[in-house]
Amino acid sequence: MTQSRQAMGTTFTLHLYATDVTRADEVAEAMFEEIARVEEALSHYRATSEIARINREAADGVVTDPETFALIARAQQLSRLSDGAFDITVGPLMKAWGFFRGRGQYPSPEELAAARARTGWRHVTLDAATRGVRTDHPGLDLDLGGIGKGYALDRAAALLREAGVTAALLDAGSSSFYAIGAPPDTDGWPIRVPDSVSSPQGGRDRGQDEGRTLTTVHLRDASLSTSGTRQQFFIAGGRRYSHIIDPRTGAPVDGMAQVTVLAPNATDSDALTKVAFVLGADAAPDVLGRTTATAALFVRDARDARDRVVRWRWPAVSERATAAVSGDQ
Amino acid sequence: MNRRDFLQRVSTGAAALTVSPAMLLGGGLGKAGAPSDQVRIGMIGPGSRGRGLLRRYLRIPNVQIVAFADVYEPSIKAARALTGVETPAYTDYRRLLDRPDIDAVHIATPLSLHAEHVTAALASGRHVYGEKSLGHTVEHCIQIRDAVRQARGQFQIGLQYHYAPWMHETIRRIRAGEIGDVTHIHAYWHRNGNWRRPVPDPKTDALEHLINWRLYKAWSGGLFAELGSHQIDFANWIFDAAPSSVIASGGIDYYKDGRETYDNVEGIFRYPGGRTLVFSSIMTNQNMGAQTRIYGTKGTIVSTMADATLFYEPKAYNTIESVSSTKEIVERGVVTGATYKSELPYRGQGTAITSPEGEAGNADHQACVAFVETVRTGARPIANIDVAYASGLSVALANKALYDGTRAEFKDYLGGHVPATAGR
Repeated sequence: MTQSRQAMGTTFTLHLYATDVTRADEVAEAMFEEIARVEEALSHYRATSEIARINREAADGVVTDPETFALIARAQQLSRLSDGAFDITVGPLMKAWGFFRGRGQYPSPEELAAARARTGWRHVTLDAATRGVRTDHPGLDLDLGGIGKGYALDRAAALLREAGVTAALLDAGSSSFYAIGAPPDTDGWPIRVPDSVSSPQGGRDRGQDEGRTLTTVHLRDASLSTSGTRQQFFIAGGRRYSHIIDPRTGAPVDGMAQVTVLAPNATDSDALTKVAFVLGADAAPDVLGRTTATAALFVRDARDARDRVVRWRWPAVSERATAAVSGDQ
Repeated sequence: MNRRDFLQRVSTGAAALTVSPAMLLGGGLGKAGAPSDQVRIGMIGPGSRGRGLLRRYLRIPNVQIVAFADVYEPSIKAARALTGVETPAYTDYRRLLDRPDIDAVHIATPLSLHAEHVTAALASGRHVYGEKSLGHTVEHCIQIRDAVRQARGQFQIGLQYHYAPWMHETIRRIRAGEIGDVTHIHAYWHRNGNWRRPVPDPKTDALEHLINWRLYKAWSGGLFAELGSHQIDFANWIFDAAPSSVIASGGIDYYKDGRETYDNVEGIFRYPGGRTLVFSSIMTNQNMGAQTRIYGTKGTIVSTMADATLFYEPKAYNTIESVSSTKEIVERGVVTGATYKSELPYRGQGTAITSPEGEAGNADHQACVAFVETVRTGARPIANIDVAYASGLSVALANKALYDGTRAEFKDYLGGHVPATAGR
């Protein structure tokens, strides 16, 4: 059974093996309800969300529930571990670069400076005893968009397990997956990681969305997330800029095309793709090694680079190598 | 409590155990304070709705969730997952009420249990937040109303939209005459789904009734109670009156799966002054979603669970665009025939109703914040027993009309006067 629903600005899909169709429908309904609940709490766009309330009140100190607090705490922990490569306060920079409107623009130095002043995970203080969240700058804006979809997948997976589901694949807009068990008589749910560079942006309109396969992962009781710039970039002054900002410099990341991260849960894999993307193939492995990430696959944004595809602890056993991996183009 | 008071209290040692370094350094996170400022809440029925409210309480400074009562162990487990601690729990709600360390009780049990749980909680001297609808039957509603009248504690009903800023602004605009005389309200709560919750194995009838209590008459008031009560309450608020009569229709016409409450209902409520609410709830199409359309002689307000939009009535509704010039008419004459009026639906853009505060706060959150304030101050809630009784009675009588196939009259239950229903 496969069901899809719109949530968190993307499409969530559930693939489920079930014998009882009515029961599967009910479980799917309950799962999508849970995703909607998470969206209602974390949506940056809804004035009624908990994160919107936190943003309104955090300059004076605000108390939140254990669930929301734990997620913000995890985000902050990943910011600390990555020395700011992951940062839930990056919104003003995204805005300055025009990324929320789906287009890019080169900000003026003044705009950039103003946005940088309103950015920085270190401006957020958490107090576990009271579940308090406080920002030391009223312009600060917490946005869990870089971790929330993964979190929603984890909540959905927990609900499915609770309901006795033993084989299911959860998909949040193809950028994050979580697999429960495996389809009958298989090693895991096959996830194809495309080679974004070999498939230039024109491919999407012609229905060749995924391009060539770089590798296939058989995912089982684990999560996989991908961040890439193939569909999101802009060109200014003859240069191509990615839609992923390096929160530390305030500028779009240069040189990476795509990263895929494997982790035990989707909250982490979702956030860690941003860490991996921002830090790049050279610097990221050291940081990823101190997180829950179990493997990562980097694709650099240069067709002629010799080490264009870089693997870190990538599971050779479960992948089916293609020409793209072994011989390159 | 201000910072000076707080520090004074700290210096006497009264609050020493709860002080975190952040509070001392930064003047407190939120409105953090001493134990005596804590509001201690016990929750009866932390099911899906109860846990939704539980999350809200956990976002309010100095609120402690002290205990749960529920007959269904997985609900306790899920509730404890939210508090993050092994919150004491009981299968018998009376043990929860026996605890000396509870200031207020939140009741989120199935409808037919409200009367027993609310009256017992009130009798124990606590402030009570009771989920809607007020009571399963007219008798239950009266029983709770009378108990509230004699109680020491305050009673707040879970009609949380009384705390929604855009609702208050909608009411203000209506009272100011912006849409003229409001003669009709059409309220829709349309879904596309069977309203079932998954029942874990091994499935038994008892478990089915426990999980899907909304589908069984012994527990539930069906769509009028679980969905309609908000919009019926909203109509009462707008009309500033309870209905005078109701007729209803409906049936189990699509989901013939053993349920007892109807899978589609329509209710027509007549109000004093010749005003009408038409409520419709179906489960086979969600094009309308949940919305309340408020029709006035000068305009329309469409209110949802998150916002509201105002449409002014077109000034010359029955004129059509002129197709010929006066000169042509003089030359060729005018054709006579049957009256023609353009009665196409209005398709223009409305104006969003934003609250003066400029923020659409979450209604559930505001309601819980207000209840905690009521516990602290003893002040009468906005969503008080009068609001609760008018809405609860409307629901109970609508169901009476629905199941008996009769027109239900309100006058015998309103004590010769129409209760005040308005908020602040």
